Amino acid sequence: MAAARFGVLCRRVSAAVKTAGSFLSPQGSAGTGFSLILLPKNIPSVTSLPQCRIIHTTLSRKGLEEFFDDPKNWGEEKVKSGAAWTCQQLRNKSNEDLHKLWYVLLKERNMLLTLEQEAKRQILPMPSPERLEKVIESMDALDKVVQEREDALRLLQTGQEKPRPGAWRKDIFGRIIWHKFKQWAIPWHLNKRYNRKRFFAMPYVDQFDRLRLEKHARIQIRKRNLEKKKAKLLQEKFPHLSEAQKSSLA
Amino acid sequence: MRLSALLALASKVTLPPHYRHGMSRPGTMAAKRRNPPGSRRPPVLVEPISDEDWHLFCGDRVEILEGKDAGKQGKVVQVIRERNWVVLEGLNTHHRYIGRTADFRGTMIPSEAPLLHHQVKLVDPVDRKPTEVEWRFTEAGERVRVSTRSGRIIPKPEFPRADGIVPETWIDGPKDTSVEDALERTYVPRLKTLEEEVMEAMGIQETRRHKKVYWY
Repeated sequence: MAAARFGVLCRRVSAAVKTAGSFLSPQGSAGTGFSLILLPKNIPSVTSLPQCRIIHTTLSRKGLEEFFDDPKNWGEEKVKSGAAWTCQQLRNKSNEDLHKLWYVLLKERNMLLTLEQEAKRQILPMPSPERLEKVIESMDALDKVVQEREDALRLLQTGQEKPRPGAWRKDIFGRIIWHKFKQWAIPWHLNKRYNRKRFFAMPYVDQFDRLRLEKHARIQIRKRNLEKKKAKLLQEKFPHLSEAQKSSLA
Repeated sequence: MRLSALLALASKVTLPPHYRHGMSRPGTMAAKRRNPPGSRRPPVLVEPISDEDWHLFCGDRVEILEGKDAGKQGKVVQVIRERNWVVLEGLNTHHRYIGRTADFRGTMIPSEAPLLHHQVKLVDPVDRKPTEVEWRFTEAGERVRVSTRSGRIIPKPEFPRADGIVPETWIDGPKDTSVEDALERTYVPRLKTLEEEVMEAMGIQETRRHKKVYWY
């Protein structure tokens, strides 16, 4: 069935290439070769013609079964599962092991999410939802470990603290923001869209900047006063608290 | 990663400010009944005790100092840190009806009321009397509770896990990694990124050159 589909694709591709050939026009009496006037953009790229090879990218041939649990666990109320991977355990593993583990965890997460969705659809409780939490925790720990290793290597080799370049700039509202750099194909002085962005604030914005600063100051003062009030209340109710704090500091 | 982080933030439970914690866990039907959304009760003042200073754990033997069952010793079954509460098994009980319907008055059961941390004291295992407890370090560097009167170490008690797993009788399932495999160290620190190492291992050669991009 896949072969038939690929056969159809190949036939479509060859038809498209034949129509593209019609865009080639002869030069004239003086020209020897052909010159391409117009190439329609919707021709799909093709590796080889006329044969089309079917390429499998996954090693296992299980397919969609991996979205579902072991058939023995179907219909169970509870499924036993071990603990999540901790950061320290993952730090002892090589990069190849982490790479493989990531995809194993990803497939498990997809399976559990499918199960969760199906349970919601059938208005039934999901069997052992803590499995999903453990998988998510393991994946987050793995990502953290990989980020740590990348950070260490980057700091050693370049001294850069952040993986993505950026700069502190004043935006159009007068706020100082961390502007994260983007990747562009053309330099900044030729970029129309980038030049429409203004990294400066006009003088009429100063008043609003002052108001924003005042608001920030008021919030800070209110927070400080609230903490003082709370500390006073706690002191009244628990008089021994201050002695405990003094003894712990001393 | 940003989408999953966003979903994680959305699913994280946020309680309203000055949420009054009761005996039920926030999120359960009973807690929702007691604290419906929009209810603003005057906040209770809870003495701030840091996690290092807290000395009462589930399974400890403690003695009640004041209240109806003063002088009796019991086992701690639940600790509610948000209110500095300790619930003992079968002590400091009042009676209430459970499973009430329109025509049935319900069954009466004794239900334990919580006690504050200063209303109970840990029991010294030597003389079985209430004693003050301090956190001290052993020769090995372990942080333990030590009774100030007799100087004896009070070990952290055994208490069954909430998920019902007994670590001694655990058998790995088909998807679990064995202990040796999980603790096996395969990491060799090298000055290569994960991508480079994996490409080496899989024999992928990257011959494409990265086009010049501008960062701004």
